[in-house]
Amino acid sequence: MPTMAELLEALPEPTEELAAPPRGPVPEMLEAWSLRPVPVGWFRRLRVLGTLQAQVGAAYLFHWLRGWFKDADENKRLLAETHWRNAIRVLDSMSYLRGATMKVGQTLANFPDIVPRQFVEALDRLHFDAPPMHWSLLKEMVHNELGDDPEHLFASFDRRAFAAASLGQVHRAQLKTGEEVAVKIQYPGIARTIREDIRNLFLFMLPARLSRDWENAKEQLDDLRIRLERETDYELEAAMLAKARPLFREDDGIVVPRVFPQHSTARVLTMERLEGVHLDQFLAANPSQQTRNEFARKILHAWYRLMYAGRLYYADFHPGNFLFMDDGRLGVIDFGYVMEIDDEVWNLFRTMDRALTTGRREDRLAAIRHWTWTTDDPSNSDRMRLGDQFADWCWRSRYCGGEFDFGDEADFREGFDLFLEMVRRRHTRARPITPMISRQQFGWRAMLYQLKAKIDVAPIAEEEIRVTGWDRSDYARME
Amino acid sequence: MRVTAQTKAATRQRILDAAQCLFAAQGFEAATTRDIAREAEIAVGTLFNYFPTKEAVALCLVSEAYAQAAERFAADSSRESCSTGDSAEPFTLEEELFAHVATVLRKLKPFRKYLTAVLETALSPLTSDHADGAAPLRTAHLETVSQIISRHGQEQSASSVALHLYWTLFLGVLAFWSKDASPRQEDTLALLDQSLAMFVGWLTTGTKHTENHSSGG
Repeated sequence: MPTMAELLEALPEPTEELAAPPRGPVPEMLEAWSLRPVPVGWFRRLRVLGTLQAQVGAAYLFHWLRGWFKDADENKRLLAETHWRNAIRVLDSMSYLRGATMKVGQTLANFPDIVPRQFVEALDRLHFDAPPMHWSLLKEMVHNELGDDPEHLFASFDRRAFAAASLGQVHRAQLKTGEEVAVKIQYPGIARTIREDIRNLFLFMLPARLSRDWENAKEQLDDLRIRLERETDYELEAAMLAKARPLFREDDGIVVPRVFPQHSTARVLTMERLEGVHLDQFLAANPSQQTRNEFARKILHAWYRLMYAGRLYYADFHPGNFLFMDDGRLGVIDFGYVMEIDDEVWNLFRTMDRALTTGRREDRLAAIRHWTWTTDDPSNSDRMRLGDQFADWCWRSRYCGGEFDFGDEADFREGFDLFLEMVRRRHTRARPITPMISRQQFGWRAMLYQLKAKIDVAPIAEEEIRVTGWDRSDYARME
Repeated sequence: MRVTAQTKAATRQRILDAAQCLFAAQGFEAATTRDIAREAEIAVGTLFNYFPTKEAVALCLVSEAYAQAAERFAADSSRESCSTGDSAEPFTLEEELFAHVATVLRKLKPFRKYLTAVLETALSPLTSDHADGAAPLRTAHLETVSQIISRHGQEQSASSVALHLYWTLFLGVLAFWSKDASPRQEDTLALLDQSLAMFVGWLTTGTKHTENHSSGG
């Protein structure tokens, strides 16, 4: 079995474009599309830090964008080189850089087919098979956090991690009271390291403050910062789990694991272990359309329930956070990035509901104006046109009613293309939570796309929204 | 009056207990030999019969804790090897070296904050092997490290250079730990993990080079 370093050595010599956009002339069309400023520009600056995150991000983004203009054969060759080199790099560096790289990995893994399958598969390994902290280190972490060795605190404790969490790893264990649990343990110091990285990143980016895309880059950085800070705070995650769990009844077929506070701290999170498989394994067993639809409905029920009944925004839709259980239940297992919806955002959602429900263009335009602070000035017509198309893409599965084919690749790509186009034209200025919502939107759509689900979203939304008590009588369909 | 060995041992222990208590309460810098003597209820002159300096008292405390750590590590190691069933994976070299240092850190924890004083004098790589009675500690530690390295089939690599490099890294980790302000000194764990990964990487690569060299020569 070759080591990662040997594998890396065996690959062709790295070329500049593997780590970043090339310095040489770029294809004319790329220039014409003004691709540099965002997000490529953002990743370019990120690369100043030399982080793996930046390298993977830049390599991926550039390659992906460039790939659209290359002939298939060359594209294929470049894909193989870029993806494997980066995947190996990531795997090889996981021990110490796991936090940052996993974030990129998980985000990219949300885009099946658009991100090449080969790369997604390599990144999937990161979700679940990252090289673990060794037992001696893990034991010290548990001792530090819980005050004793794992073998004394638990009836049993598997030395080998069964999953890599984004910022640590997860071990199977059994409590002395008999419960089967999953113990998530964070790599020492990673939380503060990441916070310092982000601070440094801001410092590095200060010269860019005056540039046109500063606000956008800053928003993305803020989004990343908030996300990482939340994900490294296991106490907060425990609180979110405790809040979310009672929202689901047994007959919902949706389960959120129970937390065991006596065995949990800011760096160690002990929760009920649910048995099930992740999306790829679930799909590998060729489930029927009906089964896939059923799980897709549960995913949407879970999301809406958390949002409308719990006022929790589940921002981390990626396949590693969901378990497809044998008995047909859906396990929602990771609450590392869940935001509590404050009154301001709640009122925004309240305002958006009309457009989401009616699907009328005038409602949509009003919603976009409100969301993005855009006026009726003719200079904003392009912004409004794109915003309208994108919002329509986001919401049509809900307002159209009837069965919606989430497995339609053209439809999925349309949304992605629209979003990229908005980014390129710097039309993304909006409420601070926009990056999170965009990512979440693509997250759940990507999961339903992979499930090739054909379901009617409207009744699910209507059922779940009732709990809000909003007066929707003048626009909602009355059943 | 003849002072028996038993009385001597008791006095010595009283001094150590008093010092540990004062170092913890006042800090190493603030506590004087006079304070220690007073706390131990002996004359200052008597204290000097046992320990020439305050640093020597600290070193003795550290050495005794170290000896306990060594015992603990040996016991844990034999228990690990006894309990290794088919399902348990054997420790890697890196993992075992980590476990060794982790055991030491746990035992030295009460002395962490004034470890610097011992590091600056007796444990420094610049100090000669015979100085200040630190040699036994260093020798014992490196002996254990050699044994671990040998257990993992790398005995050829455990040269004096390798051990010196290890000792320097180990002292670096101790120095970092003594000043580590991170929550529960978690940064030290990360530093130790990465330092040992580096050392083991060097050690095993070094072996490869030697093999290549000898086969080529």
